[in-house]
Amino acid sequence: MPKIKTSRVKYPEGWELIEPTLRDLEAKMREAENDPHDGKRKCEALWPIFRISHQKSRYIYDLYYRRKEISKELYEFCLDQGYADRNLIAKWKKVVSMGQTNPSPYPPLTSSHQPWSSASGSAMVSWNNPVDKPSQDTVYYDPQRDVSVAGGNQNVGSGAPYAAQSSMGMTDASHSHVPYSSSVQHGYNTVEYANYYYSYPQATNDSSVQQEANQHPGAAYQPLTSFQNSGSYIDPTSNTYYNSGGHQTVPGYGSSSYYYQNNTWNGGSSGNNYAQSYQNYSSSDTNALQSSTSMPANSVPYQQQYNQWPYYYNQSVPNASSNPVDGKSTTDNVAVNTPSGYSYPSSQPPPPGTTSWKSNSVASVAPPVQDSHHLNFIMLQAPGVSGPQSQYGNQAQDHHANQALGVQWSQNHYAYQAQAYPQKTMNSNHAPLSNPEDQQRTIEPIGRSSNTLLNHVSENFQPNLQGSVTTNTSSESKIQIPTNPRIASGFSMVIPKSEKKPAYVSVSMPADNAKATQVGLDAVTRKAIADGTILTKNWDTEPLLPLPESVVGMTEASSANHSVPFSSTPTPRKRVKSRWEPAVDEKVTNKVEQIAKGLVNSNIHNTFEPKSRMRPAKKQKVSGSSSQIQNGNASSDSDKEQDLTKYYASATALANSPEEKKRREHRSKRFERSQDSSLKSRNSSANKDTMANMRTRRAISSNLSRTYEEGTRAVEDMDWDALTIKGTCQEIEKGYLRLTSAPDPSIVRPEEVLEKALAMVETSEKNYFYKCDQLKSIRQDLTVQRIQNELTVKVYETHARLAMQAGDLREYNQCQSQLKRLYAEGIKGCYFEFSAYNLLCVMLHYNNKRDLLSSMASLSKETKQDAAVKHALAVHTAVLSGNYVLFFKLYKKAPNLNSCLMDLYVERMRFEAMKCMSRSYRPTVPVGYVAQILGFLRTDSEGCTTDGDDGLQECEKWLKAHGTVLSVDNSGELQIDMKASSATLYMPEPENAVAHGDASLAFSRTNKQREHPMEQLKGCLQRSSSRRMWSPGSGLLALAIIDPCIQSCTLKTEEIC
Amino acid sequence: MAAYLSMGEAHRRIGDYLSRVVDAISSSDGAALASLIAVSSAPGSTSLSDALATFPDFPRLAGDRIPHLADLLVPLLRAIHSHSLQRFADAYSSFEKAASAFLQEFRSWETPWAMEAMHTVAFEIRLLAEKADRELATTGKNPDKLQAAGSFLMKVFGALAVKGPKRIGALYVTCQLFKIYFRLGTVNLCRSVIRSIETARNFDFEDFPVKDKVTYMYYTGRLEVFNENFLVADQKLTYALMHCNPQSESNLRRILKFLIPVKLSIGVLPKRTLLETYNLLEFDKHVCVVLSGAIVTHLGRYTMLLIEICARGNMTFQYADVVTSLKRGDLRLLRQALDRHEDQFLKSGVYLVLEKLELQVYQRLVKKIHIIQRQKEPAKAHQIKLDVVVKALKWLEIDMDLDEVECIMACLIYKNLIKGYFAHKSKVLVLSKQDPFPKLNGKPV
Repeated sequence: MPKIKTSRVKYPEGWELIEPTLRDLEAKMREAENDPHDGKRKCEALWPIFRISHQKSRYIYDLYYRRKEISKELYEFCLDQGYADRNLIAKWKKVVSMGQTNPSPYPPLTSSHQPWSSASGSAMVSWNNPVDKPSQDTVYYDPQRDVSVAGGNQNVGSGAPYAAQSSMGMTDASHSHVPYSSSVQHGYNTVEYANYYYSYPQATNDSSVQQEANQHPGAAYQPLTSFQNSGSYIDPTSNTYYNSGGHQTVPGYGSSSYYYQNNTWNGGSSGNNYAQSYQNYSSSDTNALQSSTSMPANSVPYQQQYNQWPYYYNQSVPNASSNPVDGKSTTDNVAVNTPSGYSYPSSQPPPPGTTSWKSNSVASVAPPVQDSHHLNFIMLQAPGVSGPQSQYGNQAQDHHANQALGVQWSQNHYAYQAQAYPQKTMNSNHAPLSNPEDQQRTIEPIGRSSNTLLNHVSENFQPNLQGSVTTNTSSESKIQIPTNPRIASGFSMVIPKSEKKPAYVSVSMPADNAKATQVGLDAVTRKAIADGTILTKNWDTEPLLPLPESVVGMTEASSANHSVPFSSTPTPRKRVKSRWEPAVDEKVTNKVEQIAKGLVNSNIHNTFEPKSRMRPAKKQKVSGSSSQIQNGNASSDSDKEQDLTKYYASATALANSPEEKKRREHRSKRFERSQDSSLKSRNSSANKDTMANMRTRRAISSNLSRTYEEGTRAVEDMDWDALTIKGTCQEIEKGYLRLTSAPDPSIVRPEEVLEKALAMVETSEKNYFYKCDQLKSIRQDLTVQRIQNELTVKVYETHARLAMQAGDLREYNQCQSQLKRLYAEGIKGCYFEFSAYNLLCVMLHYNNKRDLLSSMASLSKETKQDAAVKHALAVHTAVLSGNYVLFFKLYKKAPNLNSCLMDLYVERMRFEAMKCMSRSYRPTVPVGYVAQILGFLRTDSEGCTTDGDDGLQECEKWLKAHGTVLSVDNSGELQIDMKASSATLYMPEPENAVAHGDASLAFSRTNKQREHPMEQLKGCLQRSSSRRMWSPGSGLLALAIIDPCIQSCTLKTEEIC
Repeated sequence: MAAYLSMGEAHRRIGDYLSRVVDAISSSDGAALASLIAVSSAPGSTSLSDALATFPDFPRLAGDRIPHLADLLVPLLRAIHSHSLQRFADAYSSFEKAASAFLQEFRSWETPWAMEAMHTVAFEIRLLAEKADRELATTGKNPDKLQAAGSFLMKVFGALAVKGPKRIGALYVTCQLFKIYFRLGTVNLCRSVIRSIETARNFDFEDFPVKDKVTYMYYTGRLEVFNENFLVADQKLTYALMHCNPQSESNLRRILKFLIPVKLSIGVLPKRTLLETYNLLEFDKHVCVVLSGAIVTHLGRYTMLLIEICARGNMTFQYADVVTSLKRGDLRLLRQALDRHEDQFLKSGVYLVLEKLELQVYQRLVKKIHIIQRQKEPAKAHQIKLDVVVKALKWLEIDMDLDEVECIMACLIYKNLIKGYFAHKSKVLVLSKQDPFPKLNGKPV
């Protein structure tokens, strides 16, 4: 790690250029270090850390050795300060010298704007690959969104995102190769690019996009292979360049730039291909659409958009959210495409270039302005998610496989879902939704900042959806979904003439009718959100895949489902985001429309289901996702599927290639195990899932309505129902471990298991510590799943009783406060018993008259009739008047566990009594009498003294310990000399004073330590919250875990996060 | 008010209002300003709010016309508007903004001419917050406005509790804070304010306005009751009673509600002579008792008035039995009284105080026994057999066994309600020859 920054350190020239990048990386590193590593293997947890440190070193290495943009002084400085690993660089140097040295395509930094142009070549390359393929594919696929609308199209649509992804993967591959290893390829790419670019207008004329798509698959596939070979190499800096290059070369072409950026990004992160590809693909779709449409009129709007982009980017990242406010649908798109957006500015080479560069700042040398922050963050995160695998582990294969899958998808849209993508089943099933989800997932780790992105992402989708919708309508749509017309109508205004050119439509819509589009977009976004939540639910309930790479989201337990590296947390994220970012406008939306969309989405799910069933491997997963099942109209889309297959026959062929099959096999094997376990758990909690879904829906609907009303939501408005996870752990015994990250459903037990666990604890013979531990974990699981019913009450009651018996006031207080809340909510339990406990606790152990008054005032007449409560009130009277005799009488007659609470007060009461007696009695009092009235003698029900000797001895011991003066009178009876004692009476040290004999459990009763329990609680909370501050996810977590009523602390946490 | 208000008229009214505010500020007319910014009670506020409803663009108008006070006036107009529409939560938010802006201005003014306006702000913000909270509670939202008002008033207090002429207004804000804290149940927050008021060396407490002093004393007295510092509570509440405006009946009653139990708990009981002096014996017996116990000893001049107050208020019924039981040593009566009025006592927070009177009742009982015994057999007057006490309690239908009574006796001796000792062997309470039942005389038990 770099040394501490001090003012004395002299920063060499040029430092300010690289500092932001390094700082970003450091921030990332910190995050990676703090990242929860639950469920990961030990080495896995280190991957991101290694990766980032490599990234840093590589950055400096590239700057110095490859691009020669920094001075030796600066380079040495970086090494000295620990920004880069000297040994690592040495190793790279060695490798390079051994292999052929790559001429660095990039001009020196000093050339300012020129770098961009020069980079353009490489950019073009990358651009080419993605653009060509995706664009074509996308054209088909976008309709996919429409899937719901048109049966045939549906399949396509689902494929579309994937296709985009695949193209991304391709891009990545080419990317990585191009800059560093093969100059030839690079050149080639550029050529292609140029061709493509020029051909673009032509292509537009082509009415049949599909043909293009067919061609495309092949191309895409190739890049994929190349990618495999390329492995994990990443050059951050080069990425920046690419982007800029892309901009310049393709000034008018927004979509291209978009891809471009993605590529770059991927290259930089090496691991990120997935995540990025996801992000990219949505945009790519749009782009593709555009290209295919290639209408002159279309081009015009595009240009405008591009111009706007620079503006947006120049603004600070937060602007992204503000964009919607601007009221232009275009802005929304832009925001979504943010990554791509950078490229757009290319038309205005210098400023936009800079911005884009900034956005990529992680990789880029020069420190960009604030704009890039947000984006960068996201980008960085994405690599973090998927990165580790590809780069460090052998799992590069996985990565590869994913890409391959992606390729397949693009080629064989249909088949791919079921076949190629066992892992992705979830995604594929939800295809329409999947896009946003995926994107979200990538972003998730980022936390808040990602939220904005998410919004954007979702917005990106919209264009695609819209475009696709129109397309579908225009084409013969077999599927008739009731909701379709609505959607169509929603968009119809926007796209009167665009029907034939879906791609264009999507893009141009904003330009045409900004407002209308926005509304439509909003609606779509909403829909996506709603669906997302639904999906989330499913995910939660879903069985857990081991997913080592899964990035645990904030609160989401979705991690379990994250087996796919890039697929991170489910959609709930998105919602969260939207709440936190009120800027994302949810103004105009038409509720009805939203709902309609939601329906459409669900329909889509259904349609996908059959497909998945066709493939045995997939089937399981599909069934796993409860939402689908629930929604499951199970209308067979297979015929449609077949229709599609025709189209994509060629693609299928590719997909079925032996190589591909092998990969698929490999992949499916990897997930077999996890599927099994997940299945099991799923079965057990099937009906629970349904319930959960219902809840989710409710939450969604309420959420929607709220959105409708307010437009902005505060954190406290968060819909926790939607975020609640569903445990799948079947272990009955589980120790308590304080959560430091979002709970993982695989280690959370569902309700019926918890019931067993409670029974187990109740019958357990083990000591209190074990039981307390078990109960705490049960409580945690309940809290995490937000189960609040009789079971919850029972658990808390059990724990409270045990804690009382053990004299553990701290735990008791926790339980009591929870119980108070639960009882107040009307959940049945031993209310009387516990109000008695509460009274006793307040009067004996709090030193607060107001609390006592309020808890006494809160007792109802009925409650006061209860024996236990009466007893407690009697104790109160006894204590108040110092009536120790009555106190000890009550102590002996205490119902329930009242005596346990009194236990803790006995010592004090005895001492008070002795003080009183020593003042008032003269001359002597027999020890026997004292032993009797001070409760040393246990008496049975008839009042006869039993085991008197023991009690007497105990009393004598106690009296001696407290400094009384004993004497023996004539009759041989032991007497207390009161007059003498009054002077010598003292309170011994607390350890002797532990009445119940277990000093470790003692609640210290000295005045100083008799801290108000609420104070204790508060302190505890503050401590815990301060510890939780380290990540945004944990803030949320704190919110979820800690009693919701204690909002202040958690809110604070959030602020800090 | 005309149903229809022309745009021009509305514009004129708003303009008029704005210019009046500006005039009040420029002429340093605190009273005028205060009346203008009182959202809930401003004179002519209805006409103004009508105008605001008619002319929805008022924020811009205010901003354009008086740009330097836009921060204050725009939210203020919004607050008035929202308040007239019964949207109190909105009104509160706007008013808080306006209040912050006003506080800013107030800080910059050297002289405390605007103190009255500041007080109005403090008062209004509390009222609005209470209304807003009620509104929020009914709509199921978190009522946190009063809390927010509390923290805002703390800021105001910080601006006032400084050296200089502005300090004189600090006590008013303190009292507003007390009211908020008592309502919220966060009484412990009062401590810091009290400290800064009472530890100030450069400002004599007596220099504060009387009404503020009375309120302050009332609340701090209540605090002392909670803390069971009855002596201090007695002083403060008595001060409040003595200085309270005799016309303000409800205030007097409020003070008495706490003062009476405090008086009782420090052993101040009615003096027969006083009762006779004021010819209260024929009056309603209960009232006499109460008055003699709590008030008459201190307040000659308000006696009749206070009697009426007590009679009208529920206090006579609440406290009469308590006082009677104290006089008679009738434990049963005390318990009955406590039982009967438990809810009210618990609510007002004096239950625990009254409960503690039990020991005094015991003392009275023993004293009575002693007196009777002295008449019967003067030789053994200072030796009271435990059996006798048990019998007396039995007669009162209070069932206690020997040990418990013995314990009570020990407690009485321990708490210095009885002088003497208890001989365990013979079960006899041996009283001191002189002054066996010391008076509390203002000392709490």
